[in-house]
Formats: sequence, C-alpha cells, structure tokens
Amino acid sequence: MKYINGKIGSRITITILGILILSLFLYRFLFFVKDSFLFFAINDLLVITTFVFLSFYLLKIIKEKNPVPSSLVLNIGLINVFIFLVIIFSEKTLNLLFSNISNKINNPGLIESLIYTLYSLIFLVITAYLLITFKELYFHKQDRGNKTYFIAMLVFLGLTSISTLLFPSPEYDFINNTFLIISIVLIVINSIRISWIAFIVKKEKISLLLLSVIILILFIFNLANSGTNDFNGLVLTNFSPSFQKFFNLILLYGAIYFSVLFFTILFHIPTAEAFDRKAKEVSSLQYFSKLITRVLDFKELAETITDITTKVSSADAAWIDLFDDKNLKIIANKNIALVDADLINQFLLESGICNKITETKICNLNKFINKSSLSEKYGSVVISPLRSYNEIKGYLIAVRKNELIFYDEDKTAISTFSDYASVAIENSMLLEQSLEKERLEKELAVAREIQRKILPVKDPVISNLSIASVFIPAFEVGGDYYDYYNISKDKFGLVIADVSGKGISAAFVMAEIKGIFESLSRMIESPKEILTQANHILKDTLTKNYFVSALYGVIDLNKGEFYFSRAGHCPAILIRDGKVTTFRPSGIGLGLTNDEIFKENLEEFKVELLENDNLIFFTDGITEAKNNDLEDFGDERFSQILINYANENPDKITNEVIKEVITFSQEHPQYDDITLVILKWNKKNNLNGDKGWQNSAPQLKTKVM
Amino acid sequence: MAEFSTSVKDKGDVSIISLKGFLDAHTAPILETNFVELINKNRYKIVVDFNELAYISSAGLGVFMAFIEKIRENNGDIKLASMNDKVYNIFDLLGFPLLYEIFKSEDEAIKKFLEK
Repeated sequence: MKYINGKIGSRITITILGILILSLFLYRFLFFVKDSFLFFAINDLLVITTFVFLSFYLLKIIKEKNPVPSSLVLNIGLINVFIFLVIIFSEKTLNLLFSNISNKINNPGLIESLIYTLYSLIFLVITAYLLITFKELYFHKQDRGNKTYFIAMLVFLGLTSISTLLFPSPEYDFINNTFLIISIVLIVINSIRISWIAFIVKKEKISLLLLSVIILILFIFNLANSGTNDFNGLVLTNFSPSFQKFFNLILLYGAIYFSVLFFTILFHIPTAEAFDRKAKEVSSLQYFSKLITRVLDFKELAETITDITTKVSSADAAWIDLFDDKNLKIIANKNIALVDADLINQFLLESGICNKITETKICNLNKFINKSSLSEKYGSVVISPLRSYNEIKGYLIAVRKNELIFYDEDKTAISTFSDYASVAIENSMLLEQSLEKERLEKELAVAREIQRKILPVKDPVISNLSIASVFIPAFEVGGDYYDYYNISKDKFGLVIADVSGKGISAAFVMAEIKGIFESLSRMIESPKEILTQANHILKDTLTKNYFVSALYGVIDLNKGEFYFSRAGHCPAILIRDGKVTTFRPSGIGLGLTNDEIFKENLEEFKVELLENDNLIFFTDGITEAKNNDLEDFGDERFSQILINYANENPDKITNEVIKEVITFSQEHPQYDDITLVILKWNKKNNLNGDKGWQNSAPQLKTKVM
Repeated sequence: MAEFSTSVKDKGDVSIISLKGFLDAHTAPILETNFVELINKNRYKIVVDFNELAYISSAGLGVFMAFIEKIRENNGDIKLASMNDKVYNIFDLLGFPLLYEIFKSEDEAIKKFLEK
C-alpha cells in the first residue's frame, strides 16, 4: 500500500509541478508589464511554489538512492561545474543562436522570454537540487536536535530573498541587511556541524580535501559572477529578483560550507590514521567475537588470531606460541617465516630478556646478536601472554619491521585482543579434547564389543568336569582371551591368552588368535604342537612389539589326564587336598621368537587328575590388581583364597576370588582385564556326557565393577 | 598414571638407558624414542638398567622386541640389568631370559659387551 501511495504521490507531485511550470510560462507571456507590485508578488508566489514542490520532489529522488556524503559532495561539485560552464558560455552561445539576445533582457520578445524562462527554470532546478543536497549532507549522522537551526536558516534565507520585494525602498535597507546578516550567521552555524567527516577513512579524506578546494573555488567564482550586473544575474533577476537572491544565498552557503569542510578535513587528517585504526580494531573485534561463537577448527582459529593481530595493531607480522609440555611451539604465523619466529622466541622468551612475562610487554631486538640471521629487519616486539585459569598457556607475539617501534596504544590493542584470543583458544582446545575423548571412547566401545563377541557366551557343562569362568573387562580393552573346544567325545580343550597392548589393536589381535586356535584345535591335538604352529603364524603377522602369552591344555575325560603347554602365560595352578601346586613349564610368549627357539624351549606338562582337583587358569589382571598403595594383589592372597574355598564348586570359588580382588583394589582403577577359569574334576558326580551340553544353563559370565 | 622417565649415558662403546617409574602402554613411547636415537647414532651396544623401574607391562616389554632384530643385525645387543624380583618375574614368565641376557648389575652387562 505504501508503495502504491508513494507512486500516486509522486505522480500528483509531477502533475502539480507541470501545471505550475505551465502557469509560470503563461503568466510571463500574458503579462508584459513588469512594474506593478502585484505582478512581482504573483510571479514570486508562483516561483516559490514551484521551487517548494521541486525541492520535495528532488528530496524524494535523492532519499531513495540513500547516498553517502562523498557522493553528495561529488554531485555538488558536478553541478558547480555546470553552473560555471553556463556562466562562462551562456551569453556568447545565446547571442550566437539568437542575435544579440543579451541586449533584450529587460525588454524581451516572445522567443527571448521563452528562452530566458527556460534558462531560469534550469537554475530553479539546480538551486533546489543544491539545497536538498546540502540538507542531506547536513543531516547525515546528525541527531534530530539540530533540525531547528537548519529550518531557521531556510526561513531566513527565504526572508532575505523576498525582503527586497516587500521593502523595495532604500530606507528599509536595514531590514534587508538584518535578514542577510542573520542568514549568514545561521549558514556559518550550520556549516560548522560537519559530523560525518570523522567516519571516513584516511584515503577518502585526502581526496575529499582536494575536492573541497575545487568546489570552494567554483562556488566563489559562481557567486562572483551571479551578481545583478552579470548576464546570469540579470536573467535570473528578470525572472524573479527573489529567486536571484536566493540562488546567490545558496551559492554563499556552498562557499562557506566548503571552506569549513576544507578546514575540518585538514584538521582531521593528522588523527585520521588513529581513527582508522580504532575503527578497524572495533570491527575486527566484532568480527572475531562473532567468529569464536562458531565451531572452529583450531588451526583456522590460530590463523585468524594472527591475522587480526596485524590488523588491530600496526604490526607487520604476528605469531602464536603455545606450551607443549614445557617447550614453546609455534602454532600459527602470519607474514613471518617460522625460522625467524623461532629465533626471536629463543632470544626473547627463552634467554631471559622477556622471559616469564605475565603482562603484555614491548621488547626489542637491539641486543640480539643473531639479528643478521633473520630474513627481515625486525626491531620492535610486543609479547602478550595467552592465559586460561590464570595459567600462561602461550604467547601472542607481534613484530614491526625496520626502525618502526610499537607504542603504548599498540600494546593496549594487542593486550585486549590477546584476552579475547585466550578465551577462543581455550574453547577450541576444550572442544578438540572432548572430540578426541569421544573418538577414543567410541574406539574403545568398538574394541569391547569385539572382545565380548569373541569370548564364549557360556561355560560348557561336561561330564566329570565342573567349569566356571569370570571375565571383567578393563575400561581400555586389555586383550584377555579364553575359549573352550569340544575336540572329541573324550577330549576337552581350553585356551587362555593375553595379548600385549590395549584398545582396538589388542581387540584385533584377539580376533586373530581366536581364528588361529579355533582352526588349530581341530587339526592338532598336542598343546605343544598347537602353540608352536600359533607362534609360527603370529611371528609373521604380529607387529614387532606385539606378542601374546597363551596357555593351551587338553583334558582327557576318559583317562582323567590334563596336559598343557605354556607360552609365556601365567602358570596353571592345581589345588589338591588343600595344597597349591603351581605348574610353570618352560615356554616363550607367542610372536617373540622364531619357530626353532620357540619349540626348543617349549615344554608339555601332564597331570593325572584326582577327585576334586581344581585346575585354575588366570591372567595377570588378578595378581597385578592394585590397591591404593600400588601394592599388588599377588600370588599369595590368590592362593590363600583358592585353598579356603577349594571344596566349593567352581562357581563359588570364582565368585569369592573376584570378590576379594574387587575389595582389594576398589580404590584403584582396574587397569587390565581380569580372567579366571576354574575346572573341577569330579568323576563321582558323573553326568551322562551328551545330556550335559543340552542341560547347560547360562552362567555368570562377567561382573561389572 | 604414574610417572616414567629415562636417562641415557655412554660408557665407551656401550650406551646405558636407565629406567625409572612405571613402564606401560602410555609411557612406552619415551623408551622407544631413546632406542631410535641410539640406533640413529649407530650405537648398537645397549644396556638397559632396571634398577629404579617399579613396574613393566606387556606393552613395555614390547619395546625391546621392536628393536632387538635391527640391533642384533648390526652386531649389537640389548642387555638387561639390575631388575627387581617383581620385574624379573614378568620377564621370566614370558620367557625373556631365553631371548635376552639379563645381569644382576649394570657393570656385569657392560663387562659382557667388552669381552667380545
């Protein structure tokens, strides 16, 4: 609606303007007698009305373009050039076209009258345009309070213009002069208020300075040549004496305005640089504070910081050092080679001149002996500590080249900025840490999942044997592995192993181990042979610093025999008649050495089983569980519990052991996986072999601490 | 986690790495760096002094395995010395005494190098 209204409004304005101009023409043609007061009064009324409408129309057009002061100034300049050209050439040109037209100013014919009216109308437009432009300039970046002065000025300009018409006789000249003086005073007052200058950058100020001189000269020239004795002045006076006066007043305003403008800019230029820098500083900080609220890559952030540092200060180059353990590490550098930054670091931060500073400080490289090895002539340096939680995390450093030095304003700017930067760096690091932690946790969750999937789901129930096992994973997967093999009707196999290393890599090795033993246990019966083959495979596939400790054993259910080999694993324990026997046959861990040495040193051991014998298999997670004094749970505590509960069923025994281990180490985080497998030989409780598997119920597999 | 540190000194042809504290998966890279540096300097006769080592995990043992082949190829060796019982037990369990020479003291280990 507003838009349509505006359109209709502007159409009406144009129509009224057209009517006004037309009536001006008609009026001037119809009434040749130009000596009555009435004629001048009506004439001026028409001219003033046209001028007012014209001004409003132009105001609207200019407002729509929303121009900046410099373009307004340029417009004023162009119009002045036009007036200048008209003043110089109009008389000659018109005389050429219409012979001796200039002699008929006071007594024009029809054509002359038409031309002079047209000529005057052009000046009417120009004057209105100048007035509107001045108004826009005046109100640019001004608060409303000053409106009164401008309106007062307009009123007095108007009064001065028509005063001659109202009081033509010389005795009233004083009224005329009073109005004129008041107008000039108001013009001066209004010209002084040029607030937009401050907001222009230095470069633009300099070009405006030149422009204002030229425009000033043009205004003065135009003013000097628009008097009542000049051709231009004569034409306009003839058109309307009031308008001619008003036009002169506007030119006067222009001359005063631009001379004030010239001096204002002149006085602003020395401080322009400082102002520019402050403005840049503010906008950089604004930009930066916007930036840090976004998720930022750490590297990107560091680069932005060095970049902005060179903008907020007069620095030529900047870089950031962060403490990595106790050494400083350059994480971003702008406009300076790493080698140079490093040398300056060494000289200022490590050798003592600006060592251990806690406040932003200006240092210099005057005493730097290796100055010649720098690729640029750096001299003055500002060092600002980056801190978080009152701890210095690093430094933001800025340098200037050649003989230029830093001043206190630079120091303040860099110091302020480094406070912002500290917060941003801290945020970014925390974010990165939490992402890294999340990634690690995910990785560990995957590792635990792999481990959970490859361990047996439940313990088998077999005739002549009671079996129980417990597995408690550490937070970081420890690489414990165990499994059972139903080799044949009479033979039951078992493996327990511990992969060196932790986490996802340990989980993958476990998966490999599972595959190896699963397939070997089907093909080979001898524990020694199986471990030798496993070593052969693992020696080639494992990374050099990885190895696996393993114990593989077979129980002959018919004969009641247990035979096993141990490849670097924790010994097997036998509890018989309340006594502990530890079997530790010779054997090297899997993947540690070549087949020959491995086999040579691997023993196979055989135990004849007696009723109620307990066979215990475990990983070092039990014996190396630690209490708060970093004491190990140890073999003795372990043996004692085994003896105490030797007559219980394996389930009970495993539970008691784990209970003790947990109680012992409850104040200390579990660092390694815990695995415990107990087999009890009880031939008297003989179940029928095959049924046993079917009746097996899920048993407690893992306990969560 | 507990701290771990190493120090390296040279006695003629032989380099001695002294371990202190807890050697596990997290601290193993420190010792690895020591080995890499010695190998880069072509110093292959290395004695590792365990006198002040409180604990070693399987990842800690892995460090020795990572470099032994390269060192022996260059007519050098890693000899282990001054282990406390607990640390020795861990080495022993895995069969390391079959793969490495382990001595009661640093001096004995150095002497062994000089005999050759």
